[in-house]
Amino acid sequence: MALDERDFPVQQHALANGLQIRLLPDRGLPIATLYSFFRVGSRNERPGVTGISHLFEHMMFNGSKKYGPKEFDRKLEAAGGTSNAYTSTDVTAYYEDFASEALPLVLDLESDRMSSLIIDDDSLQREREVVKEERRFRNDNDLDGMMDEALSALAFQAHPYRWPVVGWMSDLNRITRADCERYFRTYYAPNNCTVVLVGDFDPDAALRTMEKLYGGIPRGDPPPEVPTGEPPQKGERRAFIQYPAQAHALLTGFRTPAGPDSDSLVLDLVEAALSYGEGARLKRALVYEQELCVDANVYFGWRIDPGLFHVSLKLNPGVDPSRAESALWAELARLGDEPLSEAELQRAKNFVRSGLLRGLQTSNGRAHTIGQMEVMLGTWRAFLDLPNRYQAIGAADLQRVARKTFAAHRRNLVTLMPGELPEGVQA
Amino acid sequence: MIRDIALPPHEIAQEPSGLTLVAVQRRGVPLFHARLSVPAGASEDPRGKAGLAQFTADLLRRGTMRRDARGVDDLIESMGTGLGIEVSLDEAALSLTVPGDLSRHALDALLEVALEPSFPENEVASARRRTLASLQSDLDEPSSVAARAVVALGYGPQHPYGHPAHGFRRDVETFQREDALGFHASRFNARGALLAVVGTAAPADLLALARERLLQVKWPSDARRAPLDFASLPRQGMRALVWHKPDSTQAQVRIVASGIPRRSPLYMPGVVQNAALGGGFTSLLVDAIRVDRGLSYSVSTRLLMARHAGLSVFASFTKNETLRELLDVALEKMAAYARTGPSDEALTKAKSYLSGLFPLGLESHEALAEQIADSILDGLGVNHLATYRSRLAAVKAAQARDAAAQLSPARDGTQILVIGDGEVGRKALADLCPVDVRPIEELA
Repeated sequence: MALDERDFPVQQHALANGLQIRLLPDRGLPIATLYSFFRVGSRNERPGVTGISHLFEHMMFNGSKKYGPKEFDRKLEAAGGTSNAYTSTDVTAYYEDFASEALPLVLDLESDRMSSLIIDDDSLQREREVVKEERRFRNDNDLDGMMDEALSALAFQAHPYRWPVVGWMSDLNRITRADCERYFRTYYAPNNCTVVLVGDFDPDAALRTMEKLYGGIPRGDPPPEVPTGEPPQKGERRAFIQYPAQAHALLTGFRTPAGPDSDSLVLDLVEAALSYGEGARLKRALVYEQELCVDANVYFGWRIDPGLFHVSLKLNPGVDPSRAESALWAELARLGDEPLSEAELQRAKNFVRSGLLRGLQTSNGRAHTIGQMEVMLGTWRAFLDLPNRYQAIGAADLQRVARKTFAAHRRNLVTLMPGELPEGVQA
Repeated sequence: MIRDIALPPHEIAQEPSGLTLVAVQRRGVPLFHARLSVPAGASEDPRGKAGLAQFTADLLRRGTMRRDARGVDDLIESMGTGLGIEVSLDEAALSLTVPGDLSRHALDALLEVALEPSFPENEVASARRRTLASLQSDLDEPSSVAARAVVALGYGPQHPYGHPAHGFRRDVETFQREDALGFHASRFNARGALLAVVGTAAPADLLALARERLLQVKWPSDARRAPLDFASLPRQGMRALVWHKPDSTQAQVRIVASGIPRRSPLYMPGVVQNAALGGGFTSLLVDAIRVDRGLSYSVSTRLLMARHAGLSVFASFTKNETLRELLDVALEKMAAYARTGPSDEALTKAKSYLSGLFPLGLESHEALAEQIADSILDGLGVNHLATYRSRLAAVKAAQARDAAAQLSPARDGTQILVIGDGEVGRKALADLCPVDVRPIEELA
């Protein structure tokens, strides 16, 4: 059943400079959320400055013309708000959750940094060190991060998805203030941004304030095209990591269509059938029945360009990785060989539908969903119809997509081998 | 002008069995949530059986008197939801969120799993193997290791809270079916338990639904248990423990001191002063460590408050080369803060910050149920939530100063935990306090 548009009375506006605005008032609690989605992520980078999108996200908190260094969060927190941001391969999103009376301040803070961010060498140097710590935390000293980084580099040869969002350490050391200034001019123009406001506010007054604060920011040139050419994969690819660990681990990835492709919805159901809940196929087979893994996880996130379907197995200590690998390939092949039962298919659809509803419980969740739909599918309305689109998918669709996606020549596999670092390799 | 938050329409009922029933009406997204909390938290683990509460809770879904593990999976997951199982220091909580039209089915499933488990022998053996594998595997995640180490060291081995919920390898190896059966029979009492339901229906209708479904099940026990002894042992002098994780290029750091239980009179000033010290992005420590020096990506202080005791914890990480610098800055800033407390400006900001964000914790069905359940079970009552913002606003500078002095993580008796390279830790800490370096495997 589709979601009812009357429950989501989103107002849609665009300013003359190209800024897209979506407003969803909800007077339930005295809070609101503002998201600013910039259509820029690591796919917009080039070798030599990998990680600049994420580093730049940090720089956005370091002061602008009206609100100087340290002022952004200080003003916001003093008014009963909090902020954060994330950078992905495709998008950089900033958000504030706040007491609703702080709305004028929040809009002033956001529009000020969009119009007049200050980038200086000192703050760049400090933020560079912070980001390097984040990289050490998420990638260099984290098995999942380490393997994910290796998988992307294995699965993509030409596309910018091949490098990690946080960037290579050597590139982080190299990024200059001039690189950041160029980046800001190119990607942080209002015509590359969608602002979503959800919560307790008067939409007419909010729109007037936004027109006043954002309206004078000049439109930018369209960002350059992303080089998306990725040669077809002609055979299985493997990589190995040798690192001190308690047990082996496997991370495999299969290239998928771009997010807007209708097969992405089918892959969402495949993800649910394989890994949502303890009775999901992979968990039941590999964790409970064969006792090969501590955990089996699947991740498939829509991306603007063709992306990856990830399966991650953390093996039980002592388990031979080749046994786990065979069991994994068998489960993936079974998806293509046999149709899911009606009950299993409906279970997957129910999981996906419930997940969508749960994501709409909070202001932040609604704002994020609206923004994501805008960026990925071109309209916020897309989420209203998603339950119907999932419901229309049949078992034969899953078989077809599984056979295509999980073909043996499309495998990319990273194996973690427990052991000391190879001689001469620095940690 | 800060106003208190009007809680959504709700009813609370004390049943003759001793069970507390809570029904909350939340309009909007058509979801139904049920949360059953029972007095079967990790503090109830018998001596020598650390991890039994978690083990028992995990086994609930591996078979009931009516169906096997696969049948339980089908029962719950056909609704498109997972069964939430959380074992805190004080409670075990099971929860489900489903579309509103499945509320009756969801309640039946939740109650069957919680109250009618069968603990099949083969599932107990399999769960034991899985738990042991997980304990070993978790050693690869420095943050998980740090969380285990904080409770173990913070409370000490004699305290009922002084072990991680998943227990230790040496204890888990001994778990048998009788252990889980006995634990379930003696701890899953109606007395001390709370069932919270949140949905779009009126509270009276939700209460009626809960009562109707409760008639279908029987509580396994109404035994009264002797109260636990939560007295802490005083500690003197600072000491450090380094858990050696080979080839780490970064060290996880925790500085741990005793804190307060949730019902402490210091609760509100404690929360406020902690926000100024290490909450949010503009606290004193975030400024000193991340913003001014770029030493870490993440810096925080937290008051971990359970029902009978608590801890005050500083958490951060940094590259090996700057471990000592980070420790020096953190200890110096926290010691100074213990003497002065927050400035007037920092106090005002902390109060506004906490007050503005407080409603966010009541937005989702799950958060609302958990907040109300915990407030009642901790003996604070829902008034704790209803008056939260006005009590925050009423905190005076002298109270915050006093709380800062009593709760700083840098006090006499504080423990420093480092998870990282052993030699790096030993060298960095050598002239600061006595240091013990141990292999990380000892934490499993």
